[in-house]
Amino acid sequence: MNIPLQSPDNTNGPSMADYHHKNQCTWCDGCGDYGIWTAIQRALVALKLHPWQVFLCFDVGCHGNASDKLMGYRFHGLHGRVLPFAAGAKLANMDVPVIAFGGDGASFSEGVGHLVHAIRSNYPVTFILHNNENYGLTTGQASSLTWQGQPMNASPFGIPERTIASMDFIFSLQPTFVARAFSGNIKQLTEVFKAAIEHQKHGFAFVDVLQACPTYNHFATHEYLLEKCYDVTTEGHDVRDFGQARKIATDTTERIATGILYQNTNIPSFYERLEARKGITTTPVHEVAKRDVSEFMRELL
Amino acid sequence: MSRISIKAVGSSGQGINSIGEVIAMGLKRSGYSVFGYREYPSLIKGGHASFQIDVDSIPVRSPGTKTDILITLNHHGFEHNLYDLQKGGIIIHDVDYWEFSKEDQRFIEENDIKIAYIPLDEMLKKLKARPILANVLLTSFVWDMLNQDIELLKQLVREQYQHKGEEVVEKNLECVDAGCIYNDPKLGRVTVSLPKPDSRWKDQLLVTGSVAMGLGALHAGLRVYVGYPMTPSSPLLSYISSVQKEAGLVIKQAEDEITAVQMASGAFHMGTRAMTATSGGGYDLMTETMSMNGMIENPMVVVLAQRPGPATGNPTWTAQGDLLLAINSSHGEFPRLVISVSDPEDCFSLMPEAFNLAEEYQLPVIVLTDKHIAEALCTVPAFDQKKAQILRGKLITDPKALKNLKGSDRYDPSAKDGITPRWLPGYEAETFNAQADEHSADGSIDESAEAAKAQMEKRMRKMKGLKKHLPDPVLYGEKNPEILIVGWGSTKMTVLDVLERLGVEKFGPAFAPLGASVGKGLEVGYLHYTYLWPLKTELFERLAAKAKKVILVECNYQGQLGMLLKQQCGIDIVEKILKYDGRPFYFDELQNLILQNLQTSKPPNLQTAS
Repeated sequence: MNIPLQSPDNTNGPSMADYHHKNQCTWCDGCGDYGIWTAIQRALVALKLHPWQVFLCFDVGCHGNASDKLMGYRFHGLHGRVLPFAAGAKLANMDVPVIAFGGDGASFSEGVGHLVHAIRSNYPVTFILHNNENYGLTTGQASSLTWQGQPMNASPFGIPERTIASMDFIFSLQPTFVARAFSGNIKQLTEVFKAAIEHQKHGFAFVDVLQACPTYNHFATHEYLLEKCYDVTTEGHDVRDFGQARKIATDTTERIATGILYQNTNIPSFYERLEARKGITTTPVHEVAKRDVSEFMRELL
Repeated sequence: MSRISIKAVGSSGQGINSIGEVIAMGLKRSGYSVFGYREYPSLIKGGHASFQIDVDSIPVRSPGTKTDILITLNHHGFEHNLYDLQKGGIIIHDVDYWEFSKEDQRFIEENDIKIAYIPLDEMLKKLKARPILANVLLTSFVWDMLNQDIELLKQLVREQYQHKGEEVVEKNLECVDAGCIYNDPKLGRVTVSLPKPDSRWKDQLLVTGSVAMGLGALHAGLRVYVGYPMTPSSPLLSYISSVQKEAGLVIKQAEDEITAVQMASGAFHMGTRAMTATSGGGYDLMTETMSMNGMIENPMVVVLAQRPGPATGNPTWTAQGDLLLAINSSHGEFPRLVISVSDPEDCFSLMPEAFNLAEEYQLPVIVLTDKHIAEALCTVPAFDQKKAQILRGKLITDPKALKNLKGSDRYDPSAKDGITPRWLPGYEAETFNAQADEHSADGSIDESAEAAKAQMEKRMRKMKGLKKHLPDPVLYGEKNPEILIVGWGSTKMTVLDVLERLGVEKFGPAFAPLGASVGKGLEVGYLHYTYLWPLKTELFERLAAKAKKVILVECNYQGQLGMLLKQQCGIDIVEKILKYDGRPFYFDELQNLILQNLQTSKPPNLQTAS
């Protein structure tokens, strides 16, 4: 993997320096966001994508504070709503890779409906879940992925609700790309992000990044994740095997499977399924022009 | 000979719309201005629904309360609509078991109501035709009653059914033949005279506001439409979807209204023209995103098709109750444009305006319509396709100009007019952050007092330029009216019908349209507001100061435009004609209300806040 830090000659493609933003990071010491923030820049550089060629969409939460800590066309919107905005953006310009970032609060509570329909629609978009299993930015309330029984801000006796089995839920929606990675393993994260961005030509890529929240998550800590995560590629996992993928994704009692868990490149993306767009080679962004509607008016005579 | 009205009533799903649409199109082609108006409950089958066609040789843009020909497909028409009939009116029915009450009989006799029975079942059996063809029999029967050319009707039937094959067309034509020669044995052949036709209507369009709005959006370069069904915005979704293949559109029926507005916003942000439409409840869900678009200065067009609220309200009826919602919706203060269509011509011509202004001022635009405009069929001239231009403001796509941009140009607070360059993901330039948090010039999060103040002022400055840019409200009728009527939205159609006909009765058609005066030498004008926020009040203030009387006409409880005018210029319109029962103003109803108002109340009726 060639990831230049500086490129003396821009014709050779982008370097890490091109993604450098003057703003400094503001996350807590030991936050998993550092690893994700680093790996996404590495993946974009490795894919030879310049900042002006990509659109990075951020939900609201600690991860959203990355939106002004790297270059690239960026959007930082509303809590829970990043997926529909990103999907609309992508459908308008299929030439631009669109990557959406969201936390577990935004994705499994406030905006869970969008996640369901994004997977079902198979939008050609990459989604990176910053999964720290709590609401960090609002000071440590439980999310629907927080373990039951954990005392949290606003639920000192633990949450009465059951924790959502997020991977079982994701697989129940017939996804076309599912990966899981750990924010401490930047090399693997980079590889997974690259594959997830490249999957946009087939459809929706879901990447669950397990990350530490040293301030508020005292159960799934960095050490815990470090110990439990293993790379499925080292065990010869076949990413085309839906049943096996679902099994290793959902069973986390002993070990946590990471890497690309499942990929299906035979299902057309939402855009490819649009009858009205078949045979059209331009994208909607390049089609804005005054249109003669005489043919439609004739039907009203 | 004045306007006449034909009304088909029955259960939803019985086919009254097909009767109404065929007669409306037929009469338009015969040289009449027609207005098709539907009332129906929120049900797929059953209930009591109506399709009314008002017909005239001068423009007709509103329904009346009275009807000349009532076609009833079941006995409910006798129960609900008998008293809608004009003196000398006709009921057409096939209900052989109905007995009128004594009171009804008295009404029928006193008003010389004719009752024509048509044995539909028996005729269908003889023709070996399916029950749905009863509609064709009825249409043809009425067509003959109106003394219209049967070949014209046959042509329409052919056009409507040719896609179903020759056999279906033939069976329909047999029914046309049978319907037009049938006469009630007791009544004999009954005819109703129409005004003298005028050939100018023949080449005009028969169109609903929804279709006109869809065409206007396509004309304006719409490429992406995201919707979620909600009456009365659904016909727009249906129409745009129906032409998606020909127009090569990206269409998405979203999982909810939040998704719809977010997707359309994302598409607009990338640089295409996108929109969504909904009604009040759905719009409530979209409001957070409107605020977001205000903050990131993203152009957006949202159609808000009004129906009566609060809550689910009256889903299939009309209202103008969401004006203040459109203007005040969403948290925080941000610039926005609120405009309202009033008829299909507006629906077409204001869509390019909405898209242009959204891009020129980089703000969300709310286009108000309502059920009445969305679903009523109007006769209008073919839409003018010369006028519209595509104006995209400070959108930069030229590679050289892009090279010179800095990320901090995007939200540069020093921009005099508040409008800064806008450029698009995927274009080679320095990048920026479309930041919904308060930000500095390049979209970096900035919570400083300086940035908060500078960016708020930058955004709100756009309203100043926009207000200057917008046209004044339009004055119809007299230039210096003694009676000034003020309104917005679909109310315009009824107001103009009333003014025109009052003029016609007094001074003859030469004074039409709308140059005529009403009543004892009083000159009447109608001031119509299309652009509602920012609100221009200079013309209103000037006219109100001179007028002997000002009357506000709106379809809502509070007189929301009146509230807004009072807030903006201190003038309180005391005389109000307001309606909030889910129905639009009917022609004769509004005429009576205006005349009553002129006769009973005395000027002065304006109060100026001190």
